[in-house]
Amino acid sequence: MRVLVVEDEKKTASFVRKALQAEGFAVDVCHNGDDALAATRATPFDGIVLDIMLPGRDGLSVLRQLRERKNTTPVLLLSARGEVNERVEGLNAGADDYLPKPFELAELVARVRALTRRSGENKSTVLRVVDLTLDTVTHRAQRGGADIELTAREYRLLEFLMRSPGRLCGRMMILEKVWDYDFDPGTNLVDVYIRRLREKIDANFETKLLHTVRGAGYLLKDQP
Amino acid sequence: MTIRTRLSLWYAGVLTASLLVIGVGTYRELDEQLRHNHRREAEEHAILETGELLFQVGLPAVLLGLAGGWWLTRRALAPMAELTEAIKKIHECNLREPLPRTGNGDELDRLTGVFNEMLARLDDSFNRTREFTLHASHELKTPLTVLCGETETALRDESLSAAERERAASLLDELRRLARIVDGLTLLAKADAGQVALKLEPVRFDELVRDNFADAQILAEPHGIQVELAGCEEVSVRGDRHRLRQLLLNLADNAVKYNQPQGQVTMSLRRAKDAAEFTIANTGAGIPPEMLPRVFDRFFRGDPAHSPTVDGCGLGLSIAQWIVSAHGGTITIKSEPSKQTTVIVRLPLQD
Repeated sequence: MRVLVVEDEKKTASFVRKALQAEGFAVDVCHNGDDALAATRATPFDGIVLDIMLPGRDGLSVLRQLRERKNTTPVLLLSARGEVNERVEGLNAGADDYLPKPFELAELVARVRALTRRSGENKSTVLRVVDLTLDTVTHRAQRGGADIELTAREYRLLEFLMRSPGRLCGRMMILEKVWDYDFDPGTNLVDVYIRRLREKIDANFETKLLHTVRGAGYLLKDQP
Repeated sequence: MTIRTRLSLWYAGVLTASLLVIGVGTYRELDEQLRHNHRREAEEHAILETGELLFQVGLPAVLLGLAGGWWLTRRALAPMAELTEAIKKIHECNLREPLPRTGNGDELDRLTGVFNEMLARLDDSFNRTREFTLHASHELKTPLTVLCGETETALRDESLSAAERERAASLLDELRRLARIVDGLTLLAKADAGQVALKLEPVRFDELVRDNFADAQILAEPHGIQVELAGCEEVSVRGDRHRLRQLLLNLADNAVKYNQPQGQVTMSLRRAKDAAEFTIANTGAGIPPEMLPRVFDRFFRGDPAHSPTVDGCGLGLSIAQWIVSAHGGTITIKSEPSKQTTVIVRLPLQD
């Protein structure tokens, strides 16, 4: 998987690159819009992380140019302005996702991963992590063959986590996908829901599946 | 006494005096003429006629004078009344609209001109403050992104000791709090500058309240707080779904945060005459009456002795107030310290 990061702020570009490389992505970096357009002409990328505020040609203009050229590479827009209008404008211009600054790295990595594997997503109706299963048609959750009662919200949260087992999911991404909040409510809602979910799926079992990574997010996996 | 009445009285006084002078003058003239002619009968008759003449002419003249004076001053002062009305309507959002000028170059017109110049200067400085906040919050985002990113990268380093990891994580918590404050400030600065567009659509407010009730129960559970939905009538409002959810979550979060252990939160939604009325009440220390008018101020924290451990960005209620007023509604808060604090939100109904 090869990703292009277009960001004029050198430090930001550098840690985004490191974080994506740590996840096994090959990363190219450009610091302005024109270089980015030239790079996309030369190399096929699996995903592009595109800052809106760039010197010279801005991110939205790069994006429109790309789409005009029938380039359908998934694009994640980054913006320091973080306005609802800008988000809508970006998505209308052909972006696939949008992340306001300051973002969480785990968040960014999770989103890039979601973008790049979208076509090959797990389409199975029964999700499985070790002995935990979730039927996305009947909404039935089981662990070790025993039924687990879930509220609607808990179900959505579990489904979201189970769709990317072993991968870290950021708090903002969970709020966005499970709660449909496009703002940071500044509450510990996610933590509390995770705690409840953990009681339901992990409390009676030796192997813990739901893990919290301090300062980063949550993930479902079978090792501690 | 208004200028108008005073001027009218003066004007009438002057008229009366001048009429008197004319009257006395006429009388003397007639008198002398009669004495010259030595005609006694005619003389008596003429005196009577003169008195009648004065009464018949003088009284209407005085009344006419009064009416004329009133009309004149009213006309002369009408621009003043208009100016007063126009100035009454000035608030920080319409400073750039100039006061209407008559253009006739009189004292009032010049005064209006000076007022307009003052308004322009005020508007300018308001704008500069707004822009400053906007730019400041914007400028803070890039370094914040770098700080958060570097700290997160550090946390991923497997070679960190547990203590170092804990330090980095707590640093990250604070950085995220700072990021939320900056976010809140940006939102409010934009709202002040009228740059936030709401996506208005018909919204079933009761559904949002039920949703919020579920979230509030979850938030309250770790503190042993009971949340109750005392009523939820079906009402639709015209609003921005995301912002209304933000408003409700904000208020629910406050009701839990400023509560006491094993406390109580009660929310309800009902259809008042022409508004959807959402009420949320919580037990807890409450807010002393002298601080109530300031709770919607940005970064207002109340008495630190009452809420020493509460963590938040200090902008929650300011944002709530903005959301409500952007929807054409009202938000009020009342509090009985150590008993109950109640927030009431009224939003106009969807037709």
